[in-house]
Amino acid sequence: MRTRLIAGTAAGCIAALGLIAAPAQAISPTTADLYVLHAVPATPVDVYVNGALTLDDFQPGDLAGPLDLPAGTYSVAITAATATDASAPVIGPIDLALAAGTSYTAVAHLSAAGAPTATLFTNDLARTAPGQGRLTVRHVAAAPSVDVLAGGAPVITALTNPNEAKLDLAAGTVSAAVAATGTTTPVLGPTDVAVQEGVNTILYAWGSLDDDTLAIAVQTIGGLHTPPTGVPAGEAGLAADNAPPAGFSGAWGGTALWGGTALLILAVLGGSIALARVRSAEEDH
Amino acid sequence: MPRPRVLAGVALALLLTGCSLNPASERPVPSASAPAETTAPTATKPPVPDVPIQGTENVPARLAVPPVRVSVPDAGIDVGIEPVGVLENGEMELPADTSIAGWYEYGPDPSSETGATILAAHVDSLVYGLGPFSRLRDLAAGAPVRVTSADGAVHDYAIQSIARVAKEEIVLDTVFDRTGPAHIVLMTCGGQFNYETGHYLDNILAIAVPAP
Repeated sequence: MRTRLIAGTAAGCIAALGLIAAPAQAISPTTADLYVLHAVPATPVDVYVNGALTLDDFQPGDLAGPLDLPAGTYSVAITAATATDASAPVIGPIDLALAAGTSYTAVAHLSAAGAPTATLFTNDLARTAPGQGRLTVRHVAAAPSVDVLAGGAPVITALTNPNEAKLDLAAGTVSAAVAATGTTTPVLGPTDVAVQEGVNTILYAWGSLDDDTLAIAVQTIGGLHTPPTGVPAGEAGLAADNAPPAGFSGAWGGTALWGGTALLILAVLGGSIALARVRSAEEDH
Repeated sequence: MPRPRVLAGVALALLLTGCSLNPASERPVPSASAPAETTAPTATKPPVPDVPIQGTENVPARLAVPPVRVSVPDAGIDVGIEPVGVLENGEMELPADTSIAGWYEYGPDPSSETGATILAAHVDSLVYGLGPFSRLRDLAAGAPVRVTSADGAVHDYAIQSIARVAKEEIVLDTVFDRTGPAHIVLMTCGGQFNYETGHYLDNILAIAVPAP
């Protein structure tokens, strides 16, 4: 009767909670997510998408979005914040081809030589292993090739503008710094960065080395976690529906029966377990 | 602008709805069909869609508030809790002692606004014997559950349902929920036992929601 009750409850529960349903998609299968990062120092701008003013007086260091856009190609022009239309862009117009089910960050930034430009990055939303997070580093600064140090040791080497590097690592805090390639003297940081489980933490090195405006911008995109592959929460068969039936199935919790129960299980398993373990079980209860 | 006016209008309307999957939102769409960009420029700017803007400062992550004790009087459960992660093989780590529950430290905790706080304990052990979580399956709906957190906060729940789900079928993605309404899941093993592999075939789940 007990078993039947549980089975009935389980069926209702599974339906109610969707315990055996498929997980939902992060992004619609027909649209793309677009973020826009302003990483040109000291210059507020306007951003036009397909000729329409979309971001007004957009400030350096700010991140806009996500915009949920149907897959397709979009023309983006970036103008001075004082402009009244997109006819005289300072960057672009550039065409951004956005694929469905994909996350992007378009970055307005300086080239390695210091000229305003824009780069479209694809954000890696592949799911992370349980207990892990993702660290992405993007070089969008007017600066030469860099290494990224974690805890003083290089984990990413020879990263150049406008490129990225990424790695998955155990969730936790990373002391991150940026140094010229081949050196370990930081030009940025070190700073503590939280690598959260199931989150893509994207670090942007932006600004200008010559102008002493180098800075780090952080974008995070979560929801990439995966659950453990299982919850193995038993090993002895003491609570099993198919446990040996000899008179103790209804008397769980009685201390006097513990030794006998465990001994019988041990016999079933071949008797290879030391009896000392059974004694500790008795102490516990 | 070389692009067809219709496309611009559609894009603008979508931008204006701010990521909605349903463009026919109730939000007013000011003159989306009258693209201002192709008419003669005026001294004032056209309306701008409501796009979320955030800073990019390096802010510390939210610190979890670990649960430290769970009691379910109707099941005779009153056990301490340790934070646990995953084993090398990707399975959830669990305290060896059947009288200690493991809290999945990568997921929500009782102070989280959303998702499932997962508390799991071995149903039995060759060392520690049958554990208190073996009695989860006997609980009735409405049974009270109390979780105490490291900061001293007390969180009260009521059992909503008990489920026994085959491990081969269970979707742990859904059980280890992070975005739904806040709740807790007490987990252990049950059902048939495979004496050759030493594993149970089912997981037992006691789902509890915040007490009214």
